[in-house]
Amino acid sequence: MISASQLLGQDDLLNMLNQEDAKKITYTQATFKGTRFINGQTVETIAKKHLNFWISHRFGALNSGFMDNFLGLDEAKIRLGLEYGLSDVWLVGMGRSTIEKTYDFYTKYKVLRQSNEIPVTLTVYGSLATNTMPTGYSLPSGNLMRYENNLQRQTYMGQILIARKFTDKLSLQIMPTVLHNNKVESIYFDNNLYSLGLGGRYKLTNRLSLSAEYYKNIVDTENFFKTSGASYPYQDSFSVGFDIETGGHVFQLHFTNSKGMIEKHFISQTTGTWANTDIFYGFNMARTFSFEPDKKK
Amino acid sequence: MRNLIVVFALIILGFQANGQLYMAQNGEVSFFSKTPLEDIDALNKQVGSIINTANNEVAVQMRVTNFVFPNKLMQEHFNENYLESDKFPSATFKGKIREVVDLKVPGTYAVTAVGTATIHGVTNPIEIKGTIVSKGDQVSLTCQFDIKLVDYKIDIPKIVFAKIAEVIRVSSKINYLKK
Repeated sequence: MISASQLLGQDDLLNMLNQEDAKKITYTQATFKGTRFINGQTVETIAKKHLNFWISHRFGALNSGFMDNFLGLDEAKIRLGLEYGLSDVWLVGMGRSTIEKTYDFYTKYKVLRQSNEIPVTLTVYGSLATNTMPTGYSLPSGNLMRYENNLQRQTYMGQILIARKFTDKLSLQIMPTVLHNNKVESIYFDNNLYSLGLGGRYKLTNRLSLSAEYYKNIVDTENFFKTSGASYPYQDSFSVGFDIETGGHVFQLHFTNSKGMIEKHFISQTTGTWANTDIFYGFNMARTFSFEPDKKK
Repeated sequence: MRNLIVVFALIILGFQANGQLYMAQNGEVSFFSKTPLEDIDALNKQVGSIINTANNEVAVQMRVTNFVFPNKLMQEHFNENYLESDKFPSATFKGKIREVVDLKVPGTYAVTAVGTATIHGVTNPIEIKGTIVSKGDQVSLTCQFDIKLVDYKIDIPKIVFAKIAEVIRVSSKINYLKK
């Protein structure tokens, strides 16, 4: 008698395995290369027990003169940051920016992961920025900032990050944002600022990708002009750059009209415009360290 | 058509009292790259495999993304840059055990599987020597073999060339249950 299993050749066995495998959930990997686009955050978190060290650097404006400022390269603003993965979907981080001598603390939690069942990755992000400038300093807008107590120095920010990896090359993200300044520079400013961010990346090669991000601030500039008699001093932030990956590092080189590298600064305090070539050249460098023990050793 | 045959075969097999298929869902495959600069290892614990004792044919299938590295950045590079797992999600082997063995009889057998391996979308002939330990309705297969990266068109950039070996040692341990 011929047994049925004699009919099952190698290819049939492989088909059976593939059918078993198709029942499992497939999660989308690496929607973005890094935890941040350029200034703002991506949906990506880092793996458990992994530490990222960020060095972010912005030179002066390109239009600040060759003799005076060597096209901006004479001056630099930096932010140093650390972020750590508490789990594969939850990270905490902190940083210190030159601008307004600001400390920032943040956390990011991945709620949904894109898979063959869920179309998007959704991450929630919250941050606190603490300004430690001496009171009575002047802002880029010309206004003087005075603080009477420490509570006034705090800025809170909340974001929902929703991203989809459309193809292996193209990923897009949308990020509704709310930012709350405990103290604003004048009575004409609202303590709450709403903004809608858009970001994306396109992989040019396996190790090089193009990325861009834009934040559209929802501000009634006409009303601001009517009440205060001056035009609204801040602009929407737009940045474009390249991500280059070399082993354990990610290098991000970019041009942006924002000098700041945390939400408070780049969303609510961008004064430069692309039209005036108030463009800042900058780079971010991330180094990842793993504290996951190698089980075989 | 082929799928239909498989479905029918499975139905028939379902009624067979003494099945001749040994199946595994959670086999383990690991690999090891050793250079003076860096040792890299990764482990996949979700390897599927079937041995058909009626004709000694074997198939192994695994998802490339299921390889777990101690360093997650390495894991991302492995998937994104080297194995391109979006394009080539699985690695497979199909072949035939050359020796005549009856796995239903408990014992230890040295076996050679001859067939083809597909990794990174490239298929190459391969011969794998291994050991099968049978307990009758349970068998376990262990084997080790080497994979040359150039054979599977896996490009390593110059900048990390010194950190990744040209030949990768692959080890496997798969426990099968009789179906």
